[in-house]
Formats: sequence, structure tokens, C-alpha cells
Amino acid sequence: MTGASKACDTLCAHGISVALGSTQALRDVTLTLRPGWTAIVGPNGAGKSTLLRALAGLQRADAGSVTFIGRPIAQWHARALAQQLAWLAQQGEATGELTVREVVHLGRLPQLGLFTAPGPADEASVDAALVDAECTGWQYRRLHELSGGERQRVLLARALATGAPWLLLDEPTTHLDPLHQVALVRLLRRHAARGSAVVSVLHDLSLALLADRLVLLADGRLRAEGVPGDPDLHAALVDVFGGALRIERLGERWIPVAQLET
Amino acid sequence: MKPHASARPVRGVQRLNAVQPVRAVLLALALCLQAQASAQVSVRDERGATLTFSAPPKRIVSLLPSLTESVCALGGCALLVGTDRFSNSPASVLALPKLGGLDDAQVERIAALTPDVVLAATSARVIDRLESLGIRVLVLEPRNHADVQRSLATLAQLLGRPDEGARLWSAIEQDMREAAMRVPPALRGQRVYFEVDAAPYAAGAGSFIGQTLARLGLGNVVPAELGPFPKLNPEFVVRAQPDIVMAAKANLGDMAKRPGWAALRALQRGRTCGFASEPYEVLVRPGPRMGEAALTLADCLVQIAKVR
Amino acid sequence: MAEADRQRRVRLVVMLVVLTVLLLVAGLAAGSDGWSLRTLWATLWGDEAGLIVGQIRAPRTVGAWLTGALLGLAGATAQGLFRNPLADPYLLGSASGATLGVVLVLAASALVGHGISLATADALARIGLVAAAFAGALLGVLLTLALARGAEQTTRLLLAGVVVSVVLAALNDLVTSAAPDALRGKQAFLLGSTGFLGWASCAALGAGLLLALPMAWRLSRALDALTLGEDSARSLGLRLARVRMALVAALALATGLAVSQAGLIAFVGLVAPHLVRRFAPAPHGFTLVASAAAGGTLLLMADVLARSLIAPQEVPVGVLTALLGGGYLLWLLRKRRFA
Repeated sequence: MTGASKACDTLCAHGISVALGSTQALRDVTLTLRPGWTAIVGPNGAGKSTLLRALAGLQRADAGSVTFIGRPIAQWHARALAQQLAWLAQQGEATGELTVREVVHLGRLPQLGLFTAPGPADEASVDAALVDAECTGWQYRRLHELSGGERQRVLLARALATGAPWLLLDEPTTHLDPLHQVALVRLLRRHAARGSAVVSVLHDLSLALLADRLVLLADGRLRAEGVPGDPDLHAALVDVFGGALRIERLGERWIPVAQLET
Repeated sequence: MKPHASARPVRGVQRLNAVQPVRAVLLALALCLQAQASAQVSVRDERGATLTFSAPPKRIVSLLPSLTESVCALGGCALLVGTDRFSNSPASVLALPKLGGLDDAQVERIAALTPDVVLAATSARVIDRLESLGIRVLVLEPRNHADVQRSLATLAQLLGRPDEGARLWSAIEQDMREAAMRVPPALRGQRVYFEVDAAPYAAGAGSFIGQTLARLGLGNVVPAELGPFPKLNPEFVVRAQPDIVMAAKANLGDMAKRPGWAALRALQRGRTCGFASEPYEVLVRPGPRMGEAALTLADCLVQIAKVR
Repeated sequence: MAEADRQRRVRLVVMLVVLTVLLLVAGLAAGSDGWSLRTLWATLWGDEAGLIVGQIRAPRTVGAWLTGALLGLAGATAQGLFRNPLADPYLLGSASGATLGVVLVLAASALVGHGISLATADALARIGLVAAAFAGALLGVLLTLALARGAEQTTRLLLAGVVVSVVLAALNDLVTSAAPDALRGKQAFLLGSTGFLGWASCAALGAGLLLALPMAWRLSRALDALTLGEDSARSLGLRLARVRMALVAALALATGLAVSQAGLIAFVGLVAPHLVRRFAPAPHGFTLVASAAAGGTLLLMADVLARSLIAPQEVPVGVLTALLGGGYLLWLLRKRRFA
């Protein structure tokens, strides 16, 4: 462990490499995540999900390490870590007969453990999460009765219900229509503004450019990172996406514009 | 299957008598057929199929132990070229190739032995396969005394020794009469529970075992209406309170441990017959050793009468 | 909406309780002379009552319910653990292991000289079928765990279970071909039978249920979390390997006991959780316990029918569970809705 890693008091990756089967998904990625909303972007197969899973402690790195608040993530007690980091999976793998409310209740597991019954405080957290994700209206319907977008919001509510300060979300906008994508972005910004940290993998650059910071991955390597207005970041983005887009300013924001003319 | 008649050329006969060609031809044909018929063998099996052979088969495969024993008892042991894995009597068949059991008979090996006929039980899956390969199958599955008598006659005819069947059967009958005489009069009419399997499966009055017991003057707790080997509710046996219990020695030892069976008076008083595996095998095979089986049963009953 | 759910659960519980009580009475009445309440009354006051009803029918009836409950619990646990509605309690090699134990004991005497000594054969025979089946079932599961190198991954566990089942089944066949006398006993075991369940069996089954049910129930929230996916469950702070190990242990105990006492009874473990989910979908806390109750009711029904249909003969109970359970699954397929 280098001296730099000891100085990391948030969530950091130190030169991690991960091989998945015969492919090298991550190569020597070093990254320090700060409070606020960080978006991880990159082309398909860049290793974004793998990076997020490694940061969440779900994927062991073959080389290097991930530390969280100064301690290697592998040394964290599972429940203690879960109370700090909440993770949302990329695709809905949810099966079973649970109702929406019951699913969101599962988010209280890090706080309660397996054997304690939920109390009024937990019910309040569940209610709040349902409100934030805008699922209160159908909280007694079963998960499999919902559409893809509705299900995604329920799973997001589950992540919110943990009350964890760090949210690691893998493609949270999947299946969401524009109305709800915007609602999600507003939610993430609110969450970040409260002092928590949100790390989301996003393939949609227009949303990613609304974040506080961007991290660009390509081919398993860290290509660039910076604020949305950073020109080096823009150059890297254009390069990584093969000149198919350019970044333009629109008022206070930056937007990607498809480059149709060669 | 139609009898296969091969006519010898009749030109010579026609030249002899040109005036009555039709009668001459018929005479010639009759002579030919008779010459064939003296060696020809025609038997009917349990499926109702008739198999005809131009001569008694010289290579026989048997897939049922009782049929193996029958063939040997009828003097055809030398003709056996292969048996199933369970055939173990008489001792000479142990050296023969073992061709599997009822469900997993090795078709290839059977075919390689080029048998003239295969003897099998009705429930053998291999029958269709063998017949499609052109191998003749004779299906016999004796279940009661009448079946055994009939199958012995069929096999005797197949082997070209039609009288042997009747002779063997009368020898069996002789043994059964002898056994019946040995049974102490005090035990006549007593009801027997004969267990063939620990499930429990019992030998009913209609099975060959039940019939043998009847010949010995004994009754059966399982009436004939229930079939030859019914799977019983254990409660039935307890309520029936048989006078004598017969089973394999291993099963008999555990019987008292079954819930409620300790109350069986036959078990309490030791009026039981526990058979070791060799005599037990003789008892459960409907074949030429049925007479021996009857004698074994009689001997056990004699012992019981002494125990009283 | 929550109210509707609660009502469905209450209705299911009431239905199961009523059915169980009715079937318990029926179980006391179903005997070798068919089914009639009048004869039950007569028998109860007759002098055979203690023997026939008390020692034969009552323990058999209770034993059938307990066996079914263990199988239903095991089935629900397996389906939750593997997140597969087609999972059954025999997935992890317990069935083949138990059969091998039974076959070894049955063939013990015949195997002398073929590879085991007389002393070993004697010892084997004395162990008895029940203990051998139980030990075999547990060993089968242990083998699976060893092959999968712990309960780290569900797919590896499943594959290991399949491999162990196949290999042990092959060993079974090897032993029975060397000792054909064991074949009949093995067939009887494979079909399952509640015929000889006495009070001693009931005690063993009851003790097993009292152990396995709370064990699985306490982990029901983990099973709920697993429905979100393994990674999500782990991100919620669950030590999955430990949870799986505990659930596999409960599964092995329940299945081993059921199989050792009553043979391999099919479909109960598979169908009971489906029935519960169909009538009252709920989190695993409810489903596990209700599956046990449903399994007990199902097997008890099959047992009573087995005794009554062709009295004094008996239909093998495994045939009836296959008919009842398989029939229900067929009906499900027709309605094209999978629980």
C-alpha cells in the first residue's frame, strides 16, 4: 500500500486490475471519489460496471486494492460496509413474489440485520424512499406486475432506503422515460447536495454531463476525469467516441451533439 | 405365422401316372409334408403367437430363472448358450454367459450368440428388439400351477420331447402329495401369511405359492380376489392374525419391530418359517423345483408343530 | 392491497388447518377394510383400539403429515436458495446418497467376498435401513458441498449436486448388479412408503421439524434478499456463503430425515411451495412455514388415498403424490401462470 492510499479518506481505487475470464476488464485504474455526484462514462465494454462493482466490494481485484475511509474494502465488516455503501444492480435480476413495499423494506437489512424486526423508524425510512423514487402510489403491487421503468424506480427506492451516504448506481436510468430520468437526476443532485456521494455509471452522456464530476473509462483504463466543463475531458470524450460527437455549451450546461458530417 | 411348406419337385411323380395327375400330386405333397412334420416343432406361447421351427432348436437363450430350470429339468441343459444374470440353478448354468436382467438384457450379446430361440417373460422390454432383429422369442411367464404345467408342456414340445413335460409334472405332483402327507394333521386349515417382500407384498391364495400351500392343506390370510402378489396395508395383516408367518429370514427378524406387529400371536409364539436365501429362492420360482419347495414348506411346518 | 394479501394468507392458513384436521380424522378411519366413520367409531371402542388405531393408524397418519411437512419445508428452502421454482429437495445429492445407503445395507450379505468382509457386512446389516438412508443423504450433500468447494456460488452448487447425484446413482447400479437381491428393496425404497411409520419414527420426524423449521425461518429474510439477485443481496450486508451453508444444512437435515423414514417421495417438495405461492404470495417468512403445512397436508392426503382406494391393498404413496402433484402442475401449465 502506497502512502497515497493511506491518505484516501473516501472511496478510492489504487491501481486495480480485474480480469473476467479471458478478458482484462480493468487495467491499473487509480481513482479517488469525492462527495457529490460522479458519473462514470465510456463506450461499451470499457469496464464501467466492473469498476463500480469493485468499488462496492462485490468484485475482488486481481491487483491493487480498493479502500474506503482508509481501510481496505475487504477488511470491512459486511453489514458496516452495507450501511455506508448502497449498490444498485445494472439489470433487474429481481424475481419472486414480493410487493414493492416488501422489496424496499429489504433496504433496511444493513441496519437491522437478519433477525431484528423492523420498527417505526424503518417504516419511516421506507416511506421516505418510496416518496423519493415516486413509487408510493403502487407500493402494494407485486414487482413482476410492474413495467421495466416502474421496477427500476422500486429498486432505486430499495437502495435509498438503506440510508447509506454513498450510492453506487449502475445504469440507474435504464427503462426510464425522459420524465423520470429528469426526476432521477434531480433526486441524485439533491442527494449529493446533502453531503452524500453518488457514483453512477451512465451510458447517456447528456445526463452524465449534468454531474459534478465525470470519469471516462476506455478499454479498461482510466482515460480522463474532471468537471463537465474541463476541455481536456471534452477532447478525451471526442477521441474515445471516435469523433462521433462534440461537446457544446448550452447556457450553463454542456451537451453532446452528434457529429453527422464526417 | 403360417407353417412353411417346402414342396420337393414333383416331375418324377407326374411321369409315373399321367392318367391321375391331381391325385398323384396330392399324394406326393402329403408325403413331403409328413417328412417335414416329423422333425417340425410348433409351439404356442403366452402371447398367443405360434412359433414353428423346422427342427427342435439347438441353441437356446433363457432370460428367466424358472425357464432355465425348466429347460434343464427337461434334459435340454446342453442346448443353453446363455442365461440372464439371476439364473443360478442347476450349477452347470453358472458357467454360461450372463446376459443381463429383465430390463437391461444385452441385445448385442444375445444376437452374437445366434440363438434359435430366446425364452423370456412377458414383461421383458427386449422382446420387440430381438424380434426386429429376426430372433425368435418364446414368451412364457408361469404364475400359477396351471401355468407351470402348461409351460413345461410347451418347453417339452419345443425340445422335441413332448412326453417329458407330462412326466416332469407328475414328478412334481408326486412330491407335492408326499409333502401334503408330511404336514401334521393338527396344522391343517391354519391360515398362513407368506411375505414375498417387506413393502409388504404377500403371496395370495391365487399365486403359485398360495396354491402350493393349499395343496398342503393350509389356508391363506390373503384371499384370491386380491390378486397373486398384492401390496397390502400392514394393518390388514395385524387384523388378520395369521396362524403361521412365513418370510425370508432377514425380513422375519425385523417383523416384530413394525408398528403393531408385535401383537401378532404367530410371532409371539414362534410359529414362523424363516427361509435362508437358497431355500427362499426355490420357494419363489414357479418352475420344476416346486415339488422341492412343497417339501421345504412341509418340513418347516413339521418343526412348528413340535414347537407348539 | 396489503389487506387483501393478509386476507389471502389467513384464508390459506384456515384452509390448511381445516383440511389437516379432516385428514387426520380420515387417517384414523382409513384402514384395511376401507373407509367408514362407523367402523372407526366401533374400532375406537373395541378392544383392538389401542393396537389398530393407537399403534398403527395414528402414528402412520401423524408420521405422514410430518414427513410431508419436512419435504415441503425443504422444497421451499431449495426454491428460495436456488431462485428456481423447479428446484426440489433432492437437488443436492441427498436422494442418490440415501438410495446408496439403503442398497448397501440390503446388499451387505450378498457382497461378502465381493469386496467387503463378513464383519463389515454384519455391521452394515445391523445399522439398519433407516440410519443408512439418513447417513447416505447427509453424505451425499457433504460430497456436493465438497465438490462445489463450499457454498460460494449457487451455480457451482447446483452443478455439483447434479454430478454427485449421477455418480452415486451409477454406484447404486453397480452394487445392485453385483447383488440383484437388493434390487427389489431398492425399488420399494424409490417408490416411497408411509406404511411402517410408528411412534418412534414420528418422534424422529418431529424432532427434525422442530430443528429445521426455525433454522430456515430465521433465515427467511435472507431468502427474500436473494430474490433481488446475489450481488444485491451481498451489497445489503449478507454473508452469503454462511447463509447458504446454514440453509443447505437445514435442507439436508429435513430431506435426510424424510427420506430415511419414508423413502423417496416425489413431488411433495416441488409442489407445496407452488401451492402456497399460488394462493397467498408472501415473503419467505410466511412461505416457508406455509409450505411445510401444505406439504404435510398433501402427503397426508396421498397416504389416506393410498390406503383407501383399493383396500386392503395399497397404492404406493409415491404414485399418488406424483398424480396429485403432477396433475396440479399440469393444470398450472394450462393456465400458463408460473408461481
